[in-house]
Amino acid sequence: MGHRSLILAITLVPVALAASGPSAVAAETPPADAVRRGEYVFNAAGCLGCHTDEKGGGAPLAGGRGLATPFGTFHTPNITPDPTHGIGRWTEAQFVKAFREGEGPGGTHLFPAFPYASYTRMTDADLKDLRAYLMTRPASAQANRPHDLDPPFGWRFLLPVWKALYLDEGPLPDDPSKPAEWNRGRYLVEALGHCGECHTPRDWMGGMDQDRRFAGSSEGPEGDKIPNITPEPKAGIGGWSVGDIASFLEIGMTPDGDFVGSGMGEVIRNSTSKLTPEDRRAIAVYLKSVPAVK
Amino acid sequence: MASRKFLTITAASTLLACLACTAVAQDKESVMKMREQTMKTMGGAMQATGKFVKNEGGTVDDVKAAAARLTEAASKDIASLFPAGSTGGESRAKPEIWTSWDVFAKQWADLKPAAAKLTEAAASGDRQQIAAAMGGVGKACGTCHDQFRAPKQ
Ligand code: HEC
Ligand code: HEC
Ligand code: HEC
Repeated sequence: MGHRSLILAITLVPVALAASGPSAVAAETPPADAVRRGEYVFNAAGCLGCHTDEKGGGAPLAGGRGLATPFGTFHTPNITPDPTHGIGRWTEAQFVKAFREGEGPGGTHLFPAFPYASYTRMTDADLKDLRAYLMTRPASAQANRPHDLDPPFGWRFLLPVWKALYLDEGPLPDDPSKPAEWNRGRYLVEALGHCGECHTPRDWMGGMDQDRRFAGSSEGPEGDKIPNITPEPKAGIGGWSVGDIASFLEIGMTPDGDFVGSGMGEVIRNSTSKLTPEDRRAIAVYLKSVPAVK
Repeated sequence: MASRKFLTITAASTLLACLACTAVAQDKESVMKMREQTMKTMGGAMQATGKFVKNEGGTVDDVKAAAARLTEAASKDIASLFPAGSTGGESRAKPEIWTSWDVFAKQWADLKPAAAKLTEAAASGDRQQIAAAMGGVGKACGTCHDQFRAPKQ
């Protein structure tokens, strides 16, 4: 038994293998392999936690989780295939547009609490597979709850200003001077894993401070403090090896045997523990390469 | 004369009050040190177990010793490690510990059976079984940290 599969065996949450049965609502039946790929994208992108009110016992993806931010509290929407309360009527093009441009059907500007500043980097293929998977999830008729935001942050009509300042639309082309593993790691960190949404500090308008990428933040989501994950030796995780980072992403253990909790426990449970060992390694390789920031 | 006596008494009682003050502060500090030690011991035990599981040079005997250290740490009285209000300063202990004490104490109690499984697995020497038991202990650690410890900065 090699060491890779052993580490897999201690994964805290077993990977759900096959995607389960067809939904009551989805109009078309997507090909099974698109659904399977979509489930992987769904896990890597960590959609479940934000869109499920786990504490309140809500149905998966039916929304209603409150996200406390310095701008007020967001209540996540229902993203099950329900035609009235969920996104069952959204076309594929509308779905892709929400991620690429932060714009819902009918031109509604979406708040960047939905981390589309990162998801805009997703490929069309991944977005289509993701939608195929979502359409196989059980529908829930739970109605959406309005957000509870402080002015001026609650004003949707200001969002185009925000987008002009901070949204850099579209996928990043691979850097041919870098190995495939690094490019894959960058995609997992920057697009799917949206690690910077928590680990990069924000300015007063909620834009990510690109000069201090991954340098940690004193006011993360839910008021949490977020640590520095750049390779800076003292402030960051410069002392961690690629293997240390990879096993952290699998089971949540730091090199000194501590086990993380807070927001990161959920990221590991719902997302990084479900990736392949190769993908966790790619994330680690990429993180070791970002500029060190104190 | 009388006023001098009064002054002395005032001075003395102020001094006493202050002594009591630092005594309390020191007490809190030593409690926080003691639990930091306990937690670090458990961290060291998990690190050693991980070295064996990941095949990075640890031996089964290291795991046996680690399981014993974990069991001993998990037997400590949680109320004496976390007396009411022992947080602030560098501490990452959340105030919710004392408002949801029963949940917190239960999560601490859950460590013991998890450590017992690791002891059992270590005795078997089977890497796979040790890995699974280590996952169980890690889950017990992470569940409590998730709810009751503020993130590090
Ligand atoms: C950090 C929390 C968070 C994560 C992670 C997240 N979302 Fe959301 N999402 C939100 C919030 C908040 C909104 C509401 C935005 C608004 O009202 O403008 C939203 C809106 C949406 C919408 C628009 C729904 C509507 O009715 O307008 C869709 C679709 C969506 N999310 C799907 C996803 C998918 C799929 C994923 C994973 C790839 C995901 N979200 C990950 C927080 C999140
Ligand atoms: C929802 C917010 C959130 C997201 C998204 C997130 N993290 Fe974290 N991360 C945290 C918090 C909070 C901590 C601190 C946890 C603690 O100390 O208990 C943390 C801790 C860490 C640590 C340990 C740092 C240390 O010094 O102990 C690493 C490494 C890490 N995250 C990497 C990542 C990677 C890689 C991603 C993307 C795949 C990611 N994080 C996404 C919130 C987040
Ligand atoms: C019942 C709750 C609980 C359980 C179970 C628990 N911890 Fe902790 N742990 C805490 C709290 C709370 C703190 C923060 C204490 C503080 O900062 O004052 C902490 C802190 C720590 C620290 C940081 C110590 C320091 O100050 O440097 C480590 C390391 C640690 N725990 C390891 C573990 C390991 C390993 C396990 C499992 C074997 C574990 N803990 C189980 C509650 C728990």
